[in-house]
Amino acid sequence: MINLGSYLGISFALFICGILVMIARKNIIAILLGIELILNASALNFAAYTKFSNNNLDGHILSLFIIVTAAAEAAVGLGIVIRFFQLRESIHIDDAASLQN
Amino acid sequence: MDYTFWTIAPIVLLPFFAFVINAFIVKKFTKLAVAISTGSIFVSFLFALRIFFDFMNVYSVGYHIHKVFPWFNLSSGSHVFEVKMGIYIDNMTSVMLLMVTGVATLIHVFSTWYMHDDPRFGRFFVYMSLFTSAMLGLVLSDNLLSVFIFWELMGFCSYSLIGFYYEKEGAGNASMKAFMTTRVGDVFFLLGILAIWSVVGNVSFVDIYNAIAAGKFNGLTISVFSIGVPVATLAGFSIFMGTMGKSAQVPLQVWLPDAMWGPTPCSALIHAATMVAAGVYLSLRMYPLMELGHLTTFIAYIGAITAFGAATIALIQTDIKAVLAYSTISQLGYMVLGIGVGSYNASFMHLITHAVFKACLFLSAGSVIHSIHCQEMPQMGGLRKKLPYTFFAMLLCCFAIAGVPFFSGFVSKDRILGDALVMAFNNPVYIPVALLGFGGALLTAFYMFRMLFLTFLGEPRDHHIYDHAHEEHLGWNSNIPLLILSVFTLGLFYSGSFTGQGEVNLFGSRNEWFSTLIHKPDAESLHHYAEYKSEDFGDVDTRDKLELPKAEYDPNHGMSEEVAHHVHYIHHVGAIASVIIAFAGIFLAFSMYVKKSISADWWAQTFVGWRRALQNKYYFDDLYIGKIIQKGLIPFNNFLAWFDMGIYDKYGVDGWAAVNRFAYTVSRWFDNTVIDSGMVDGTGWSVRAMNTILRWVQSGKIQLYFIVLIAVLAGYVWKLSF
Repeated sequence: MINLGSYLGISFALFICGILVMIARKNIIAILLGIELILNASALNFAAYTKFSNNNLDGHILSLFIIVTAAAEAAVGLGIVIRFFQLRESIHIDDAASLQN
Repeated sequence: MDYTFWTIAPIVLLPFFAFVINAFIVKKFTKLAVAISTGSIFVSFLFALRIFFDFMNVYSVGYHIHKVFPWFNLSSGSHVFEVKMGIYIDNMTSVMLLMVTGVATLIHVFSTWYMHDDPRFGRFFVYMSLFTSAMLGLVLSDNLLSVFIFWELMGFCSYSLIGFYYEKEGAGNASMKAFMTTRVGDVFFLLGILAIWSVVGNVSFVDIYNAIAAGKFNGLTISVFSIGVPVATLAGFSIFMGTMGKSAQVPLQVWLPDAMWGPTPCSALIHAATMVAAGVYLSLRMYPLMELGHLTTFIAYIGAITAFGAATIALIQTDIKAVLAYSTISQLGYMVLGIGVGSYNASFMHLITHAVFKACLFLSAGSVIHSIHCQEMPQMGGLRKKLPYTFFAMLLCCFAIAGVPFFSGFVSKDRILGDALVMAFNNPVYIPVALLGFGGALLTAFYMFRMLFLTFLGEPRDHHIYDHAHEEHLGWNSNIPLLILSVFTLGLFYSGSFTGQGEVNLFGSRNEWFSTLIHKPDAESLHHYAEYKSEDFGDVDTRDKLELPKAEYDPNHGMSEEVAHHVHYIHHVGAIASVIIAFAGIFLAFSMYVKKSISADWWAQTFVGWRRALQNKYYFDDLYIGKIIQKGLIPFNNFLAWFDMGIYDKYGVDGWAAVNRFAYTVSRWFDNTVIDSGMVDGTGWSVRAMNTILRWVQSGKIQLYFIVLIAVLAGYVWKLSF
């Protein structure tokens, strides 16, 4: 039986996966992937809530916005990564620690 | 005549401004300074002359000008403490003003000759201007406080001028001696002012007279060494002590002979004519208080002892100025004697006549000294031919002081002696006073003519000095003052008659103007002072003086016919006695020093003990310097110095320093340990500790920040959910 709880369970699992990826991985691109997972989890939440409520399209439209925003964010993020790599010859997150002290 | 500020005040202010201006310009423009000084006192003289003629014109006993201005006011609530200064001019003041300004003008003119070659020519005039303004201020004062201020100002000038030749050690010592001696009197004078203030609540003369008339002093006593002394006696005695200091009465007479270290014109002005007479003037002003305090007998004795004692010392002096100094003390003694025997009018007259002839004598002595550069009479002699004008002036003055009829000294001194004789007939207590008075008169005639004969007559004893006497150095400014002053040694200016007895009248109804206008403030006349109004300065004096009655000469002097007859009889006896005595003194001097029929050496060898006592000035200096100062004051001084250094400095000052040093150590420890180490460094340390913690948080690792973010968010959600 597929109900709202199932959707939310998948969404929560995605979200936790994204968080874990962001915390655990040291590769900047992997962290960007984690962010994408979190965004997808939230988009799934919107879609699921719309499906099990009054059948309008608000949640879908918001999901689309999130996808677009994620694409744009990924583009900006990858641009930053490329510039970072040009500067440091590395995409290790601990190399981006010049804010320390 | 209308009196405003600008017709009275210039008398004092002109010499004072001359002093202020001269003090600045005297070094560069000495001649201008001298001219300003002399000119200002001459203009003062003109103002005084105007006032004098106004008073002679009104010719009334009660005529006076009294103007006041508030000096300072410390009243608060019902407690009144207001001090007023003012000007009080009555007949006595107007005569005194004329005398002071006139004599001062002539002495200033003389000084332009006498001091001309002195390196401190200008400075002398600076002091003289200040002195003259102070003396005039004293004469014009209407209250004891301003009298005291001017009194001290005069004293300052006196000390400065005594020590004028400060290169000589004696001059400095004499200045110090004058300061110390008059200080004794001045302290008492101040005490007297305070005593009067405590009773009257004011020190204005008019208020004091009113208080005496109202009986405010009656029954008031003050405890001195647990003996009840009437306040009037205490106040009167204290003020008389001021007189004794200033007018050089026994036992405070020691400073005046030493004051002769000063330049001779300053001796003439300060130590003969004006300042020493100011003491007598003060006693005259305070006469009702002296009478109320039953001090007159005491005063008469002090005066008589001074008059006789100083005359005896003058007998053996060889320094021409020393003779004059002792003669001044002696004559001041006569004035004080006059106050004591109630001869108020004659005492004041003697003050004026003495000022004139003694100023003239000093100026004559000054021109002798300046001409031969010597003060010792044994080296003079025969100077009559060299200094004829000086001889003439000195001869007239010697006649005056010796009491030869027709001269001023006879008029005034004879009245004092006559009154003393009247007192002696009425009260045996006064017999020694009269005897000392007449004895002093004999000695006065003797020593003055001894001085005159030794100086001007006989053969020159030191030919070197005689030949170098330069008459040609005498100028108009040395001779004219002498001659003017010597003219005023004639008695008729003061009495209106030649003999002073009122028999031969020259000025018609104005005969005896002196004794007609100047009256003793007795019990009856004191009540009139209640009507005396004082006016504020600035307003025109609108009193209609035509209502004042013209003063009439009263041949009985207010006494009944019978008493007056008796008194006149005694006065005639006294007059005849003083004429005989004066001529006897002159004859003795003549036969001893000109004829040489009496041997002076024989007298000197016969009365060796007396002579020694006189040479030592009755051992007063030995007593004061040897006993009181050496034995008393200097050990006391040393004790005080020891106390100051040994106790006060050692334990007080140094002890306080030790306390401070200890406090410094403690506070330094506190500062270093608590404030610096604990609080200042503690703040830094705690900041650094926080920094260490926060630095750990600010790792710069983005994932750590993210973990914290998540944790906070989770905590927040957790909080919202439950």
